[in-house]
Amino acid sequence: MKFRLAAAAAFLLFVALPAVSRAAAPAPVVTRNGGVTTITQLDASAPLLHIVYVVRAGLDRQSLSQNGLAALTAQTILKTPVNGVALQNAIAAAGGSISFAVDPGDVRFEIESLPQDADKIVALVRTAFGAPVFDAATVRAARDRLTTRIAEDQQIALQVGMDMLSSTLAPSANTGLPQYGLPASLAQLGPTDVRTFFATFYRRGGSYVSAAGRIDALSAGALDQLGAMLPEGTTAAIDVKFPKLEGSSRQLVAQRDISAPWLIAQYSAPNVASKDFGPMLVLASFMQRTLADMADVPGVVSETYASRAVGAVYQYENPQPDLVLYVNGGIGNPNRSFSTALSIASILATTKLEGSIDEFKAMASGDFISATNTLEARAWLAVVYDENGAQPDYLSRTLDAISQTTAADLQRVARSYLSNPTIALVLPRENS
Amino acid sequence: MIRRALFAAALAAMLAPLATLAADESASGSLPHGGTYTLTRDTTLASAAVDVWFRAPDAGYDNSQPGISRVAATAAAASTLESGKSLVSLVRGVGGRITINVYPDLVDVSASVPASAARRVVAAMSAAYFSPTIDDDALKIARTDVAVLSAQERFSPDDLLHDALFAQLFTSGPAHYAPIPGDLSDFKSITLDQVKAFAKRAFRSANATIALAGNVDVSLLDAVTAGTPGSADSPIASSVASAPADKTIDAAVTGEGLAWTGPPIADERAATALDFVADYLFRDETGLVSKQLDPTGDAYVNGQFITLHDPGVMLVTIGGSKPNEVKAKVLAAVTAMQTPLDTASFDAAREAFIYHLAADSQSPSQQADNLGWYTAEGNGTYAPSDSASSYWKAARSLDPAYVASIVKKYLAHPVVVRLVATPSKDSTS
Repeated sequence: MKFRLAAAAAFLLFVALPAVSRAAAPAPVVTRNGGVTTITQLDASAPLLHIVYVVRAGLDRQSLSQNGLAALTAQTILKTPVNGVALQNAIAAAGGSISFAVDPGDVRFEIESLPQDADKIVALVRTAFGAPVFDAATVRAARDRLTTRIAEDQQIALQVGMDMLSSTLAPSANTGLPQYGLPASLAQLGPTDVRTFFATFYRRGGSYVSAAGRIDALSAGALDQLGAMLPEGTTAAIDVKFPKLEGSSRQLVAQRDISAPWLIAQYSAPNVASKDFGPMLVLASFMQRTLADMADVPGVVSETYASRAVGAVYQYENPQPDLVLYVNGGIGNPNRSFSTALSIASILATTKLEGSIDEFKAMASGDFISATNTLEARAWLAVVYDENGAQPDYLSRTLDAISQTTAADLQRVARSYLSNPTIALVLPRENS
Repeated sequence: MIRRALFAAALAAMLAPLATLAADESASGSLPHGGTYTLTRDTTLASAAVDVWFRAPDAGYDNSQPGISRVAATAAAASTLESGKSLVSLVRGVGGRITINVYPDLVDVSASVPASAARRVVAAMSAAYFSPTIDDDALKIARTDVAVLSAQERFSPDDLLHDALFAQLFTSGPAHYAPIPGDLSDFKSITLDQVKAFAKRAFRSANATIALAGNVDVSLLDAVTAGTPGSADSPIASSVASAPADKTIDAAVTGEGLAWTGPPIADERAATALDFVADYLFRDETGLVSKQLDPTGDAYVNGQFITLHDPGVMLVTIGGSKPNEVKAKVLAAVTAMQTPLDTASFDAAREAFIYHLAADSQSPSQQADNLGWYTAEGNGTYAPSDSASSYWKAARSLDPAYVASIVKKYLAHPVVVRLVATPSKDSTS
């Protein structure tokens, strides 16, 4: 154990590396009109067009008794028949895809198409949003799909743990609810609820249309028309306060049908507009690589199950950002790996760092650059940065933030954030 | 005069790779010191993929050393270069990731790095492979690496079935052997001299294709300083079994696999038709068979047509506690494809297939992988990651009757391998 920690600390002594150069991509172009923010990033060599469409109809628009209504509404739109075929299937048959995610503050539709089919697919989306079908059969089909997705998610221990932890940071009780709801709560929701939710919250105000890739394949004005397909107006979140739970424990425990326990630690973390963002990216990359190195067989070149069973995720895109460390107990002695992970976090916060941190910074830059390779990521990151009050040229801003990080910044951020984690344990059921 | 002409021709050949590309273009040509390159660029990205591909038999040139290709490729990546660092540590140090993929007839070393580091990685990769200096330390690392991967694969139905099905379909040649051997007894006896001899022959620059994607430029290839001109090996053949037999294997996990030999890479339309079939039936979430499975259960199915020089292989692997039930669905669906789909269903499925092609080749790593694989298998202009390639023309030319005829021709009688779980034992037949 000591040797491994020493090896991790030795990373601090690597030589300086040259700065990371930037892509030649123009910065994202932002326009605002009637409450709709449109962001475009043309990539003429991309094979596809990707559009992220964000509506302020997420978890914070639900009351506690409406758990799952935001997802049910979005899923019902995807099930809405267009020319006799559900929107999702119609888009697939036309050379594209549509999916959605429910976030604490919004619902996010991901629309993608081949360039030559872009106009056709955007037209299908507008048709469904313009006249969504909220009859009993369509809502039932949507509910069935969501129930299946919930069951699928419950098999993913890391997802279960992260869902539990996200609720601990939620400023309002409804934003900590599971994104798809629960089967029992969905069963209480019907066409009237969905119709009312759509009519109330599907408004232009605060929405985003963020497109990346082959924007040139769209007809002029197509994105503006997409942004204008909902009625005007803005909506407000429903604030649901619960009295704080009394107690000193910071552990959450759940049991699921899984084969091995998972241990997950959560620290609060800065958002993308914070001066601490760059240093936290560097810390997260360091934690990720160090944990993987510790879990793996020494000297092995290939990525192995063991190295993938541990990790660190900095969820800066969340309204309440966090840094999550996780260990899959299937790799042997999870307690040892987990306590080592927590020890590293503690050491970083308390021990003076010496030597160059350039190797850490290179890792952070490489990880971020790698995360921006897909059109979906590029379109979504531009929204995240704009929402947080930062300019949406996420790439240069982030690489600058990493480049300017000093050892003192790293220590300050470690000290500010890496203490008193909340722990989630996802355990196998006793009979499994 | 003749000398001058030769000199001019040589100069032109050397200058060809240095030609300037427009902002977003594809190119291919010769490396400065032997070998070829293929490149696609997207200057809006900040990353680059640098791959090097070789035609190399996984069990050695006399098929007597299973695993030697993998161990040689790994040892070369782990060897200390003149800079004092290995290729692996260089790539990781610049914030990148390196992956070594070994197939029966190919080796691929793939690095995904910030674009600013691409030149250094090209230089290190070409030094590590075109003039390998493998020593005992590097070999030790490579042996450990292969041993760990071999142990992992014992719990992967997909990997076990893939290797076992190929062993049944091919009676000899590299395709008969697993790139990562399950039984390490022979592997342990491979010597340093054997590894060095294999690397020297397989990793010649003349036998290499460098595939670049992302924010890259042909000028990066100036960094290739090692290598010797010569000719590349031909695609490596394996002998196809005339009547492959089914097999049951004791394993640590359950599973069932089916395989059929298919058309060669040169028969572009037929190969594309079987890609379409795999997409239509087996793609995760949208495939006809995939959608029939209980998403909350443990059953899963993977299906793909593996485009190879000759022949290709249609491979379906099934995992979960009741693979036999899934196999029945697979066979029913494949049989049904012998009847042409109605036009509307076919048109929708073909458009979805073409979309999936594009969606699956977005990142530089995916593009370099795609370009390198198809070039090394002998048909680089057919790589589907390039929407201007002959692949896309073939995809658009598909029609219901043709696809049904290809299914009837190639997918009639699969060879079947069953994994029966006996956790405490090694695999036996």
